[in-house]
Amino acid sequence: MPIYEQTYRKHEGRAPLRKLRFWPITREALRLILARRLFLVLLFVAWIPFLARVIQVYVVTRFPEAGRILPVDGRLFGEVLLQQWLWMLVITIFGGAGLIANDLRTGAILVYLSRPLTRRDYVLGKLGVLMLLNLSVTLVPGLLLYLIALALAPDQFLKRDLAWIGPAIVLQSAVMSLVMSLVGLAVSSLSRSARVAGIGFFAVVMGLEVARGILDAMYRRPETALISFRASLQSLAAALFGLSERAVSLPWFYPAALLAVVALGCLLVLRSRVRAVEIVQ
Amino acid sequence: MSATLEFVRASRWYGQVIALNDVTTAIGPGVTGLLGPNGAGKSTFLKLAAGQLAPSQGEVKMLGKPAWGSPEIFHRVGLCPEADAFWEQLTGLQFLVGLLRLTGYDEAECRQRAENALHQVALLDAKDRKIGGYSKGMRQRVKLAQALAHEPEVLLLDEPVSGMDPVNRRRVVELVRRLGREGKTVVVSSHILHEVEAMTRRVLLIHNGRILAEGDVREIRDLMDEHPHTVALRARDTRALARAVVGLPHVISLTFGAEGEWLTVQTAKPDELYGSLAEAAEQAGVTEMYSPDENLESVFRYLVAG
Repeated sequence: MPIYEQTYRKHEGRAPLRKLRFWPITREALRLILARRLFLVLLFVAWIPFLARVIQVYVVTRFPEAGRILPVDGRLFGEVLLQQWLWMLVITIFGGAGLIANDLRTGAILVYLSRPLTRRDYVLGKLGVLMLLNLSVTLVPGLLLYLIALALAPDQFLKRDLAWIGPAIVLQSAVMSLVMSLVGLAVSSLSRSARVAGIGFFAVVMGLEVARGILDAMYRRPETALISFRASLQSLAAALFGLSERAVSLPWFYPAALLAVVALGCLLVLRSRVRAVEIVQ
Repeated sequence: MSATLEFVRASRWYGQVIALNDVTTAIGPGVTGLLGPNGAGKSTFLKLAAGQLAPSQGEVKMLGKPAWGSPEIFHRVGLCPEADAFWEQLTGLQFLVGLLRLTGYDEAECRQRAENALHQVALLDAKDRKIGGYSKGMRQRVKLAQALAHEPEVLLLDEPVSGMDPVNRRRVVELVRRLGREGKTVVVSSHILHEVEAMTRRVLLIHNGRILAEGDVREIRDLMDEHPHTVALRARDTRALARAVVGLPHVISLTFGAEGEWLTVQTAKPDELYGSLAEAAEQAGVTEMYSPDENLESVFRYLVAG
């Protein structure tokens, strides 16, 4: 019956094997979120701007003179997507704040990670929830509106030089959804309370928005857009859809680089926080 | 014994705190009890075994693969954590089905396996109730059910009967013993020694992150022979008994119990004491004799103190 010697050796780390098995996580979380009637109402309300835009397209195609007040061209789709930013914010708060926070609070993350899936699968599964929800209020109405515009005014939109609209909608929606989803998820992983995570996410996004407003009022410089998610996304939309606003007159690659850094930072936060065992040092 | 789970000089520390210290052990099929007080390192041991933590140094292998970073082993490993780990808004059945989906079964098989597992822990009647409304014992059982549902070869059970009523405790103990007899590797941790004693004789004693001893309880008893051993005797004339015993060379101390009915003898050589007692016991009218050391708890106390 040996009594063992006590010795120490240097740490030898090992990289975990990765596998993609995220879909059941996404599906289960979506099922739970969409079972909430209030959330369904929220999703429905988020589509009202789309309906308004459909009416706009319909009216302008019927009464072309209305196009002077409500122009219908490629910029319309960029404006629609930017309008949806507010709904993405609300959806990310109500749908995403608890995605990781609740698992950390209940310890359910441990049972997730005692299944044949990796931490990356877990994060992808949770990210998939927010991506699908956010794309459902950006990409889906954006593309649908484009299809309706094509159907109602083929002479105006079915042109080779407007073929960029579809890819631009996809790209802008994807960037908006990815950034907001990653930030929402990272904030969710920083708390064990969905409520705190929701408030935290709102505070981060709106706090930066307010700070940007103050700096913009003081200095009137387009670089202030770089501290605001919304303005950075606007800058991208300006490049993609030809929008022309003074506040978003930055070259597109500045906000693109900034959003990429934000996304990377969120991934690092998630990497550090998503663990089966919380290590308190 | 072929090892299912191997620790090779494995240590784990959290900052300055050493949770597990240079542990080398191999665990094979059957039930193995992991014994130690709270904070001994049992949960860290199980988390390392389950690949939930990376060893700070050394190696932990489960089913021949490094436990850390091998998620595929969870097709063959079931973990029942000590702390609650639920989505309380789900029913017991939904909870298990959701987890089985992560393991990769189709819907029909998920449901069938979930119901089988709930049946094994006597929760089938409560399968459609929300976990939020479960009692502590039911929560323990649903945790156990999720570990069993995919019929793993290896089960890591962290304090599995904690909070259960005696009937369900007995049921779970029987279940664990049956799984061990079926050739599964079951590692059960507990700080309540009689719980583990009821499930297995193969134990691994852990304290302050160190493995103090491992093997059959009887091997540990052999080890104990080098430590003081206690025998309690109830006699009509405890003073006469004490006079007969006090001169024996291996007796370390004598203590009279309350009301003078009991005499507790501490000896370095229990077998010799038992051999010498026969005549004295008859003269002093010994009516009852037991050794508290038969209980695992005192084995553990001896080893920790030693």
